[in-house]
Amino acid sequence: MKKRKSGFYYFLHNRNGMIGLCGVMLIVLIGLIGPILIPKPEGYSTDILQAPSAAHWLGTDGLGLDIFAQLVWGARTSLYVSILTLLVAAVIGLPLGLICGYTRGILSDIIDAVVDIFLTIPMLPLTIIMAAIMGSNITNVALILGIFSWPSLARVTKNSTLKIKEMQYIEAAGCLGIGKARILFKHVLINASGPVFVNLTLVMASAVLSEASLSFLGLGDPTTWSWGTILKRAWSANAVITNPNPWWWWLMPSLCIVVYVVCFNLLGTALNDTLNPKGR
Amino acid sequence: MSRYLIRRILRGLLTIFISVSLTFFIVRAMPSDPVSLMVSPQMTPEAQQAMIEAYGLDQPLLVQYGKFLVQLFQGNLGTSFSKHIPVTEYLLQRLPWTLMLLGAVIVLVLGIGIPVGVFAARHRGKWGDRVVSVMVTLGISVFIPFISFLLLYLFAFRFKVMPTGGAYTPPKGEGLSYVLDVAKHLVLPTVALAVTNLANAVMYTRNGMIDVLHEDYIRTAYSKGNNEKQVILHHALKNAMIPTVTVIGLQIGVMVGGAVVTETVFSWPGVGRLIYDAVNALDYPVLQGAFLLLAVAVVVMNLITDLVVAWLDPRIKLGGK
Repeated sequence: MKKRKSGFYYFLHNRNGMIGLCGVMLIVLIGLIGPILIPKPEGYSTDILQAPSAAHWLGTDGLGLDIFAQLVWGARTSLYVSILTLLVAAVIGLPLGLICGYTRGILSDIIDAVVDIFLTIPMLPLTIIMAAIMGSNITNVALILGIFSWPSLARVTKNSTLKIKEMQYIEAAGCLGIGKARILFKHVLINASGPVFVNLTLVMASAVLSEASLSFLGLGDPTTWSWGTILKRAWSANAVITNPNPWWWWLMPSLCIVVYVVCFNLLGTALNDTLNPKGR
Repeated sequence: MSRYLIRRILRGLLTIFISVSLTFFIVRAMPSDPVSLMVSPQMTPEAQQAMIEAYGLDQPLLVQYGKFLVQLFQGNLGTSFSKHIPVTEYLLQRLPWTLMLLGAVIVLVLGIGIPVGVFAARHRGKWGDRVVSVMVTLGISVFIPFISFLLLYLFAFRFKVMPTGGAYTPPKGEGLSYVLDVAKHLVLPTVALAVTNLANAVMYTRNGMIDVLHEDYIRTAYSKGNNEKQVILHHALKNAMIPTVTVIGLQIGVMVGGAVVTETVFSWPGVGRLIYDAVNALDYPVLQGAFLLLAVAVVVMNLITDLVVAWLDPRIKLGGK
């Protein structure tokens, strides 16, 4: 009990981790509550390309729609995509990684080889093909990203499982006659969780980057707002190189993406430092 | 050496085979009709029938798979829906531009990343190292369209020193002026695509160098009377570069994905921009062909980095790893 308390203590005193955690919580709040308070930007209005003002906090786009409202709705999309991708990746990657690390034999070799190959194949072009064929809808995109995010998770899980299974307490648990499945999930997985958590935060961050890239390439969901969709529209309207420059249109969604990714990365690093006692 | 090489080549071939099978089964596993994904409705009925027969689209799945592999082996990737030319021809026109971009990125990553990494390692903990590590943290989480937009805004729009896109200023020139023109157009896309890899290269070189500088053979090299420059260049660098080159090899797939976005933003006429155009024209044969070509490119580049790692680390040649 004492040890857990100290882990939590270290986490609270990790400055970067707290910045990351606050950032992530803020994004979650905005994504959950924002769309209830702010109506979905739709159609068009006459306030075209207005600079940031009291009426439009972050200006308006080429159709006269409020950028701030678009970003708030985009936050919800980003959260949805990250969480769904994470679930799909975890459901496939965790068991495969555990099996690959804990057992020895043909099955483990095959999983290892498949992971190796999937880590080499260029993923973005493959997800582009799938999204183009399946149709652009935000759930499809998240499922596709999840299907292709599991290999790195499986690899990380395998590596930490390999280390942990050599520990004496696992051997002791085996001697006590505890079943393999129980050892695997109750003792190995819990102790392997440090690097696994880090990888999960990385999966969430890179899901948002991939979704934004897909939307930017025109494979986004036309019925919802995402940060990538806003960038795509700004880019199609030549917003970066027109004079006078509507900088708020392309800069704000980019900053949202960067802040999101940095917050998740900071959180992941802090989790790693706290869950791994050697890193303190 | 030969066993290591053969294992790597076999793995590369297996990767290509899996990529091929993935595209085949992805197209067939979808609820939509594969005929509509492979045969353009704008073709003449005879041409449509010829395609259906060549790929056996009216036959069982296994027969289709066999025919698909045979066609692929002959270099036939189908016909582009939008351009009405063979996909292979279309892709090969674009490939040199993508290879040029990737080559420039690798030169930049090695040429700047390694010296900066060595610099940070030598000044470990001092402010020079701290500045570098902040830049690395930002560089790793960068989003390619964002960095591209920033570069375009600053250098093409504000200061007007760089072109906004394309690979050359039309009409296409000749000789040295053409080369210089292309080089000028290459700068911004290269920088945009290189940022993430550059950050990785700096970080791994720095950490690798710090590890190596603690080794006994470095102390021996110093005690033989070498100065710091000699020790770093002749004794430490080759060993410190092993993790850097390994990580560049692992990141090549990601880099190729980034090239799709970069080429789109800068209208660079490579395979990546082709993918963007194919997405908007729903040109499925081109999409599949482009993915396969990129997968092959990644496998070949991986093989090259494996060879470089084997050269840097002679223990690998002996089968120690």
